[in-house]
Amino acid sequence: MKMEDMPLSGPDNTKLEALVNDIYSELVEDACLGLCFEVHRAVKQGYFFLDETDQESMKEFEIVDQPGVDIFGQVYNQWKNKECECPNCKRLIAASRFAPHLEKCLGMGRNSSRIANRRLASNNNTSKSESDQEDNDDLNDNDWSYGAEKRAKKRKSDKSQNSPRRSKTLKHKNGELGSSMSADPYKYNYNAGINYEMLGPDEVRSFLTTQCGVISEHTKKMCTRSQRCPQHTDEQRMAVRVFLLGPSAPVLPEADSVAGPESFDIPDGQALMSRLQWEDSPEISPSDSASSKASTNHSDSRRPKKKKRPPLGLNSGGGIGSLSGGGGSGGSQTNISLSTKKKKPKLTAPSISSIYDDLN
Amino acid sequence: MVFINEKMNKESRLKATINQRLTELGERERLKELLRAKLTECGWKDQMKAHCKEVIREKGLEHVTVEDLVVEITPKGRALVPDSVKKELLQRIRAFLAQHAA
Repeated sequence: MKMEDMPLSGPDNTKLEALVNDIYSELVEDACLGLCFEVHRAVKQGYFFLDETDQESMKEFEIVDQPGVDIFGQVYNQWKNKECECPNCKRLIAASRFAPHLEKCLGMGRNSSRIANRRLASNNNTSKSESDQEDNDDLNDNDWSYGAEKRAKKRKSDKSQNSPRRSKTLKHKNGELGSSMSADPYKYNYNAGINYEMLGPDEVRSFLTTQCGVISEHTKKMCTRSQRCPQHTDEQRMAVRVFLLGPSAPVLPEADSVAGPESFDIPDGQALMSRLQWEDSPEISPSDSASSKASTNHSDSRRPKKKKRPPLGLNSGGGIGSLSGGGGSGGSQTNISLSTKKKKPKLTAPSISSIYDDLN
Repeated sequence: MVFINEKMNKESRLKATINQRLTELGERERLKELLRAKLTECGWKDQMKAHCKEVIREKGLEHVTVEDLVVEITPKGRALVPDSVKKELLQRIRAFLAQHAA
């Protein structure tokens, strides 16, 4: 419908305004009427005064309108400026910092143990690398510098991933280095591992009966995972036990026969080396071993680009496997099947014993 | 006389038309809802209810009628509408008219 008969000219503007106001008044009156009906119904139905029945509670919960206080009468950040005395160190700590302080002060809680382990690890590493440098000077000819690798690794570990406060970019870095799953358990071991040189022979023996114990070449720490830890092979575990407890020491619980040195032939060094190439076998690194520095495939997840062929493969993983095969009993056969399931190449009789003989 | 009548007729016709338009397009309902919401928000409704309570206590709970309330409430209600709400509503109505009446 067209409104040609209503142009928006001067005098009509007022009319228009009047019209607008009329409409507005209608709307307001409508609202008022609505309210009246509502109230009247409430009165007649008896629920109009229902919220006023209990005078006492009305006074109790009255809205508070004072400055510095919310409508319930509570003070905001009341405990912010209060200080508490720590029961441990007797210091006065701010209330909001009290809980984290207690965690560190008492040595409980997730973070404090991580930090302590990390400190322990870095202390060990720094003291270790210094002492080892001189010992292994002439043994390091062809290989990358042990200390440098230690330093590099220490740098990496210093930017610890353990504390939740570290930067998030670290997460990406971990992911790049391979599956995070393999990286993280490794790092956990790195920090929580045991240095075999710190343990007495009895402790070592008892430790080795329950745990994997494979010594990481870089950190000289023994793997604290179970006997079945997927990162290390049974051959490696065997080699560690032989190394630490002597060739005649009882080794893995499931192996019936002791891996005796006399059961081995000594094949060509090169052949041995080529056969002892594992994808992901960490190295055993006795501190005075010649070839310890050579190994590399330490946990591919951590350093894939450093994968090198060890000149004298102290990758005893494969060696031990065949070693137990040479020993020949049911128990060791299970070892073989275990190891061959995990790793691809099969080895002929190795010369782990020969390597150790050299050392001795 | 005829002029005045015609003018008045025109005006009233205009008014009727506009009212019809408002209702047809649903704008009237929308405006009503908007007004109610705004009045509740700004506390007008609670104010008016408090006034109602006084009136009721005056007249007696049993005998209060709708007329009583209307007579007491409406003038006060009209006066107590906040300016901001009033302005906004007027603006919307004007806009509607401008859109649909010119």
